[in-house]
Amino acid sequence: MNSDTAQSARGKDEPFAIQTSQLTKKFNGLVAVDNIGLNIKKGELFALLGPNGAGKTTTINMLCCLLKPTGGTATIMGYDINQQPFEIKEKIGVSPQETFLSEHLNAREHLNLMGRIHNINAAELRSRSQELLKTMGLAERAKDQVRKFSGGMKRRLNIMMALIHDPEIVFLDEPTLGLDPQARRAIWEYIVQLKGKKTILLTTHYMDEADFLADRIGIMDDGKIAALGTSSELKMSILGEKTMIVYARNLTQKAISEMRSKYAEVEVNDGTMTITDKQLDFKEIVDQLHSSGAIIRSAYIKEPTLDDVFLHMTMKELRE
Amino acid sequence: MRFLELAKRNLKETYRDPLALGFLLGFPLVFMLLFGVMLSGDTISSSPIGVIDDDNTLVSQAFVDEALAGVPTLEVSSYDDAALARKDLQFGDLKAYIVIPQGFGEQVSQNWQGKEANITLQMTYDESDIMISEQLVSIINAVTRSFAHIEVPVTINANPIHMEAEITYINFIAPGIIIFGLLILIPTSARMIVLDKEKGFLSRLLTTPTRPWEFLLGYSLCLVAIAIAQIIIFMAVAWILGMNVVGSLWLAFLIFFLAGLCSIGIGMVVASLSKSENQSESLCWIFAMPLAMLSGCWFSIEMMPSYLRNVAYAFPYAHTIDASRAVLIRGVGMGAISHELLFLAGWTAGIFIIGVFLFRKSMRS
Repeated sequence: MNSDTAQSARGKDEPFAIQTSQLTKKFNGLVAVDNIGLNIKKGELFALLGPNGAGKTTTINMLCCLLKPTGGTATIMGYDINQQPFEIKEKIGVSPQETFLSEHLNAREHLNLMGRIHNINAAELRSRSQELLKTMGLAERAKDQVRKFSGGMKRRLNIMMALIHDPEIVFLDEPTLGLDPQARRAIWEYIVQLKGKKTILLTTHYMDEADFLADRIGIMDDGKIAALGTSSELKMSILGEKTMIVYARNLTQKAISEMRSKYAEVEVNDGTMTITDKQLDFKEIVDQLHSSGAIIRSAYIKEPTLDDVFLHMTMKELRE
Repeated sequence: MRFLELAKRNLKETYRDPLALGFLLGFPLVFMLLFGVMLSGDTISSSPIGVIDDDNTLVSQAFVDEALAGVPTLEVSSYDDAALARKDLQFGDLKAYIVIPQGFGEQVSQNWQGKEANITLQMTYDESDIMISEQLVSIINAVTRSFAHIEVPVTINANPIHMEAEITYINFIAPGIIIFGLLILIPTSARMIVLDKEKGFLSRLLTTPTRPWEFLLGYSLCLVAIAIAQIIIFMAVAWILGMNVVGSLWLAFLIFFLAGLCSIGIGMVVASLSKSENQSESLCWIFAMPLAMLSGCWFSIEMMPSYLRNVAYAFPYAHTIDASRAVLIRGVGMGAISHELLFLAGWTAGIFIIGVFLFRKSMRS
């Protein structure tokens, strides 16, 4: 009891909900997670962004005490994943990537099962599941066995099961995988409501999802954290390079070679000129092209996206 | 009580799935009926046996004239000399002969008066005909016991014994078939856990603070309910097919229940060792089928070489069959089968401890 109290007191003082240190997982010599160090603050929504196979799910599975790390460790609310798995499991809610449900149970029975496993009393459980079912739009289907559910409904229930016991830390592994835009938007809106109230670690390979939801983003590739920061910090980090796109007719060879002599990278493809360099003067380029006889239909400086950040950091395209 | 919630969920998942339920209750039922009908139809048409009455008392005469002659499947002939009977046995005119030794009448009388005395009969039978000889030993045994255990009669002739007429082969075979049904609980139990493992539901539950023993208890409670239903069905079918229960039904139930529990435990161990349903299914059957044969589910293991018999008795099922047969058809009490019960209970406890250990190990790789 005493050590518990000491532990939770320590947990309260710590600014971080999740801390990993040299966390590593190898499967038969293949490195899935390579020496990662993350500090996720309490109340923060942190997104691990990366392509399939980057090591996101393996990281989450180690943090939920499903997998033993090959090296390094992590603490969740001050508890060590190697030493105190059951203390950690009291504090977390997990929505796995696959919607693992019990086919012959209905939605409410799923919530009841998870709630009672976490010792939530009946009255509280009833009101919480009522509220969750309503917010997630499943109230009318609460008594239907989940084998009759659509993919989107299963995914919503999957998330509700992670939240029913009101955990301090929530792991959402690809919460909108394979959903249509409308259903994704609905889940995003719900996650936004949780921001600040809970510490959330979310993995995704959709950059717009990370961009829209996360306080901070860790770009993960080949088991490593390739870049870390807020969405704007990450975009700023590659602002050293600007890209201008010009749609024009009558692009002469002379105009193109003039551009190439001035700027680091100039590509022309079917009337579209893409110019990349550390410094770009919008007006000067437009004027110069204009005077060389080109008819400019539109021109703009492209804002960097997380996609560009990912491409820049890993030299790979982020694809589904 | 997490394990209760898990057990409830497992039960719902089972009874709401008609296919699973059909397999669990229907398959053993069909099996039992098939075996029962196949084997219970007739006893041996009629077996000629010889009797040499060396005791030659009123009691021994009553035993021959009333008890033995009252069994319709026995054709009793009296012999004066064992050598003559032996000759007829060799020529195939007799299936067996019994020598009633001197003192038999005295021994039986003592039993009738409530004093316990050993009753010995010498029986010589044709070993080559396994089925017939098994039946004969069983029938003679049953007849003698019921004859000796009877209340003190005023006159022997006033108490003709009729129950032996109902002794059929089903009495001998039923316990074995019931144990086979309970052996099928090995794949059933493994399947329940492995499906949760394969479909990922277990890994979701593993992110909750549920302890390994709570998981196993949750599964066990559901499987115990299935086992109880199966035992009731088996015993009912055996009864319908003509099994004549001499001993305590509750004691028989206890033996079957422990055997069921043991199967559940073995299933859990297999589930912890396998990664997919296919893997566990193959493992279970590879284990269960030879074990069913070795343990004597379908025939007596008396004719097996002794080393094989030793292997059979290292597992609990041969003991279970012996014990349940003793209770059901010979009417023995708890004291006589305490050794078997202890062995069975020890095995069950051991296998559950191994199950928890392996499950804990498989919780986190």
